[in-house]
Amino acid sequence: METQVIIPDIDPISVPAPIWLLKILLLLTFTLHILAMNVAVGGGLIAAVTEFLGKKNNSQNHFELSRSISKMLPPFTAFTITLGVAPLLFLQVLYGNFFYTSTILIAWPWLSIIVIFILAYYGYYLYSFRWEKLEGKRFVVVLISALLLAVIGLIYTQNIVLMLTPEKWKEIYFNNPHGTSLNLSDPTVIPRYLHFMVAALAVAGLVVIMWGIKKIKINESLGKWGIRYGILWFIVPTLLNIIIGLWFLISLPKNFIMLFMGENIYATVYFMIALLAMFVSLILMFVALNSAKPLAKIIIGKVFLLLTIVMMVLMRHELREAYLQPYLNWDKVQVEPQWGVITIFIILLLAGIVTVIWMLKKSFGQKSNVDPVELS
Amino acid sequence: MNYPIWEVPIIGGGWLIGIVAIIHVFVSHFAVGGGLFLVLTEIKAYKNNDPIILNYVKKHSKFFLLLTIVFGALTGVAIWFTIGLVNPQATSALIHIFVWGWAIEWVFFFVEIAAVMLYYYTWDKLDHKTHLIIGWIYFIAALLSMVIINGILSFMLTPGKWIETRSFWDGFFNPTYLSSLAVRIVTAIVMAGIYGLLTATFIVEKNNRHNVLKYSSKWVLPFMLILPVVSLWYYFTLPDIPKEIALGGISFVSQTAIIGIIVGFLVFLIVLIFGYFNTRLFTKLIGIVVMILGLSIMFAGERVRESIRKPYVIYDYMYSNGLIINEFDVIKEQGILKSAKWVEIKEINEENKIQAGKNGFKLYCSSCHIVGGYNDIKPLIVDLDEETIAMMINDLENYRGYMPKFAGTEAEAEAIAKWLYKFNLENKKEQ
Ligand code: HEC
Ligand code: HEM
Repeated sequence: METQVIIPDIDPISVPAPIWLLKILLLLTFTLHILAMNVAVGGGLIAAVTEFLGKKNNSQNHFELSRSISKMLPPFTAFTITLGVAPLLFLQVLYGNFFYTSTILIAWPWLSIIVIFILAYYGYYLYSFRWEKLEGKRFVVVLISALLLAVIGLIYTQNIVLMLTPEKWKEIYFNNPHGTSLNLSDPTVIPRYLHFMVAALAVAGLVVIMWGIKKIKINESLGKWGIRYGILWFIVPTLLNIIIGLWFLISLPKNFIMLFMGENIYATVYFMIALLAMFVSLILMFVALNSAKPLAKIIIGKVFLLLTIVMMVLMRHELREAYLQPYLNWDKVQVEPQWGVITIFIILLLAGIVTVIWMLKKSFGQKSNVDPVELS
Repeated sequence: MNYPIWEVPIIGGGWLIGIVAIIHVFVSHFAVGGGLFLVLTEIKAYKNNDPIILNYVKKHSKFFLLLTIVFGALTGVAIWFTIGLVNPQATSALIHIFVWGWAIEWVFFFVEIAAVMLYYYTWDKLDHKTHLIIGWIYFIAALLSMVIINGILSFMLTPGKWIETRSFWDGFFNPTYLSSLAVRIVTAIVMAGIYGLLTATFIVEKNNRHNVLKYSSKWVLPFMLILPVVSLWYYFTLPDIPKEIALGGISFVSQTAIIGIIVGFLVFLIVLIFGYFNTRLFTKLIGIVVMILGLSIMFAGERVRESIRKPYVIYDYMYSNGLIINEFDVIKEQGILKSAKWVEIKEINEENKIQAGKNGFKLYCSSCHIVGGYNDIKPLIVDLDEETIAMMINDLENYRGYMPKFAGTEAEAEAIAKWLYKFNLENKKEQ
């Protein structure tokens, strides 16, 4: 039979917004999703290691930190889902015909995400709500939960890569239409995945640094320890990620590597800025490690890391467009913006953000004034 | 025709969506009604200076948080996942029409999640007034997310003027928008009471339970009486054919509806007797039974609502097998095998006829008939010969079951019939 690639037709109903707007929203919400995921997964892994070290060395510092992380994990897991739903929407409008098809090929692993997520999420709540009672079991509970969440990332990467490679679909589907396939044989999947997960440790390391900075006012030695510990969690994974990033780059098909080497001006510039910003943040953190007043360096380092992440997201986007370029012609996509509804969305989004900020301010901003007649 | 087909063994994709959706609906309606329950109960506790109720609502809010934020949110994502897998073409259509509706719903979802976490974490940290405001914010956001999603869901059964105008608002404010919203809101309040009854048996000590149970029952009883009224309103807003199906056009649908009504009556009686009058007798077991019965009512309701949409997934726009009605004539011309992207056999000949029939069945029928599973095809054809089956397929819309018109060629109908008839032959051999 013929070997041509099968791609489902674009939906006959027109796209209700300009493509650029959808892409901006996709990339923006995806960045936020990944940042939240970094704290949820990286934080969980750091908590597990910290529990282990605390027990081994009988170190109160470690337990102080893991107690604090335990309280952060459930809310950041909630943010990960909430901020994941939004890119899931925009991804479907923009790339639905690719995304649905690849998802069907790995249907059961894809659905398993839900079950895995629920288990891991309740695991985090267990760790958080029963921290004292769990004692010796804390290490296992948080480790398993974090690893489960990390598995979800692996399923995601497989799908996000599979949707970009329609050449493979036909063989996979006609050999196995039951939706039990995986996409681990693609040489880019593992390095791409590790790149995300190791970065998660580094970003969660920044959260540890922030915790240290906050503690310094109450307990100086604990705070200083936290800052150093956090900086190490930033530096070591980031150094490792230079190697993994390189591995990811060379695992790509040749013509895509060249995109970042001058062939595509955007991709190249993003790549250069990303590298530069990463080195700046690394150097600043190295200096902060042995500095008496590390605060300014840390803050600037963080800004540069954020810049690195944003550039990486943009590079990833250019890569996707390049993968799909033979199969997707944006000029052929019919667009009929629903400006009225878009306006309502934007107004409500702003109102929603204001509401959430107001609630956060009320909850954490002022000293709590508990009612004198405590009823319970 | 456009996407590969993923066959779910035994239960079929329709039921998979159904199961996930029912679990989600059971939690998400609680997430709305339960929000109102939390704030009103908190107010009551302050007003009467009642430590038992206050302690109860605090603990209830922990259960509420753990159930809605984890299970509720993820089963919601699960619906997304399953409809995309089972009905990619329909999901794609909905997302193209309503992506901004969903984006708006997402804003409310976001506020909801933040509010419910803060509500729980600030019980003893904030003054009463601010804490209550956060509770109200939660409830309003949850209610509004229902107000939005209801537009999209009701659209599938009654797209109304959208079919001609293709306008967002015509699709959103469709003929069953208000009536189905009313059903949902009343259900949400009933759910709040049913959950309240159950958690009371776990949280409140037996001797203090009376007030809490009686209070929760008041959320169930009057609204259980309103539920049939709004359901009837919903029924009257339906188009003719769905009405006909509900009244017995497909026997299992009307049976399901009747079971739902009987169970509803049962819940009312149990709550009236044990939750309101004889609260001493209301045990954990009864709480769980009421919960399961409540789940079955929802189950019945959702099943009926899904079934009366046959043979469409989006009424008058798309059949449940993904075929877009506008494209029917073009497909009929060349047949389903040639139109479909994900089949290997395009031309039928004597050698591949059976295989072609298998493919044709998968394409056109497997969204409603699973071989050896849900709506099994084997018993439906057991007494028929090959020619009769082929004839039926060509005339599909005129048999029982509210099936779609057949978009395949006569050769394709014969191929499907040949493949199906094989089951009858196998059957005979066994006997
Ligand atoms: C929209 C869903 C749907 C689709 C698509 C569908 N069916 Fe059906 N079919 C039903 C239902 C529901 C029944 C009724 C079953 C019952 O009453 O037990 C039915 C009944 C039948 C019957 C028995 C009819 C009678 O009057 O005895 C046959 C035969 C049949 N289907 C074959 C097919 C074939 C072949 C296809 C594909 C070409 C198909 N169906 C597609 C839903 C569907
Ligand atoms: C903790 C669990 C999760 C982890 C670890 C995780 C991790 C990831 C990773 C690593 C990617 C990038 C994939 C790649 O480019 O190779 C990704 C993408 C994505 N995630 Fe998550 N994710 C999680 C949960 C979720 C959930 C629950 C949702 C949806 C509700 C979601 C929605 C998305 C979407 C839509 C993308 C693709 C965005 C795009 O390609 O533009 N994620 N996720």
